[in-house]
Amino acid sequence: MIKKILISIVIFYILVLLQTSFLVHFSVWGIVPNLILIAIIFWNFFEKKKSYLGLYNALIGGFFLDIFSNKFISFYILISLTLAIIIKLIFRKHVQIPFSKKA
Amino acid sequence: MNLLFKKKKYLVGILLAVLAVCLLNFFQKEVRSFFYSFSSPIQKVLWRAGDRTSDFFESIIKTGSLKSEIEGLRNENQELLAQNAALKNLKEENEILREALGIGLQKDFRLVLSQIISKDVSRDFILINKGSEDGILKDMPVITQKKVLVGRISEVYENFSKVMLISDKKSSFNAEILALDGGEQREDISGVIKGKGNFGVLFDLVPMEKKLFQGDVVITIVLGGIFPQGLLVGEVREIKKVDVEPFQQAEIVPFFDLSQAETLFVILEF
Repeated sequence: MIKKILISIVIFYILVLLQTSFLVHFSVWGIVPNLILIAIIFWNFFEKKKSYLGLYNALIGGFFLDIFSNKFISFYILISLTLAIIIKLIFRKHVQIPFSKKA
Repeated sequence: MNLLFKKKKYLVGILLAVLAVCLLNFFQKEVRSFFYSFSSPIQKVLWRAGDRTSDFFESIIKTGSLKSEIEGLRNENQELLAQNAALKNLKEENEILREALGIGLQKDFRLVLSQIISKDVSRDFILINKGSEDGILKDMPVITQKKVLVGRISEVYENFSKVMLISDKKSSFNAEILALDGGEQREDISGVIKGKGNFGVLFDLVPMEKKLFQGDVVITIVLGGIFPQGLLVGEVREIKKVDVEPFQQAEIVPFFDLSQAETLFVILEF
């Protein structure tokens, strides 16, 4: 688990750097897709139902977004955790996704 | 039972981590500064790479419209040359008058060169690589090398500063229409520049009786003391007039283009 969390930290760090320094140049009408939130949504959709790594990922991703934004630290953590909880605990209990891991 | 304990352990772990992160708010500056300091070399490289890649794709996309754009620019260039000649004469005259009146020439700004490192995820803020160690203070104006206004310093760290762009929703300052237009003297039109977010800018509170035209150039004024006189802001694109309102508004296309900029100047003194 710790190894997986460390890998997530590295991946989300790279994503936030790409988001704030590289993707800015490709904005359409000033809008840039939020890579971190997209990654969190996808992760929680497709991981095992009983795994909690998705929630940890939401925490890590939210933390990096907070650091590189102008909001107070924990603003994005709350958003990403809420998103992860909605997907994981509510949505996935009632909706069956064909390619997601069941166990 | 064992599964329930394991489940609880993970949830408690997440809750503790959230609480620990919330506590970091007391050391916001230090934490952010720490992350910026070791991220900035990578971010500089990424910013440059993004700039070059977007330029490459832009040149491919714009190939078709390039010919008409060149023609437009040639015409504009000729107009500007004529305007330039008129302004040179005025400058000479101004210098002679200043000398005669004993007023010294206007001092140049004291500037600090800085580089953009990143843009905020959600709002119109950027991070530059100069901070309090370079003499930067809150509210100092930030411009490009062509005297185009970018924004003002909103937060200062030891080696970094956050710049609130003029397009941020919280940004507002006084501005006016450049009075000299093609050699003709225009009436004084002043108003307030307000940020709309997502690089949008609005010229607001312009009295109804004043005549605005598309292509009018907006510059800063000293009123309010935020910015020095005469920094370029943008060009009027669309004028919005509603008869029942006491003021008219105009959509502004800012001269500052974040995707093209790499280096900026902070005005330390003006």
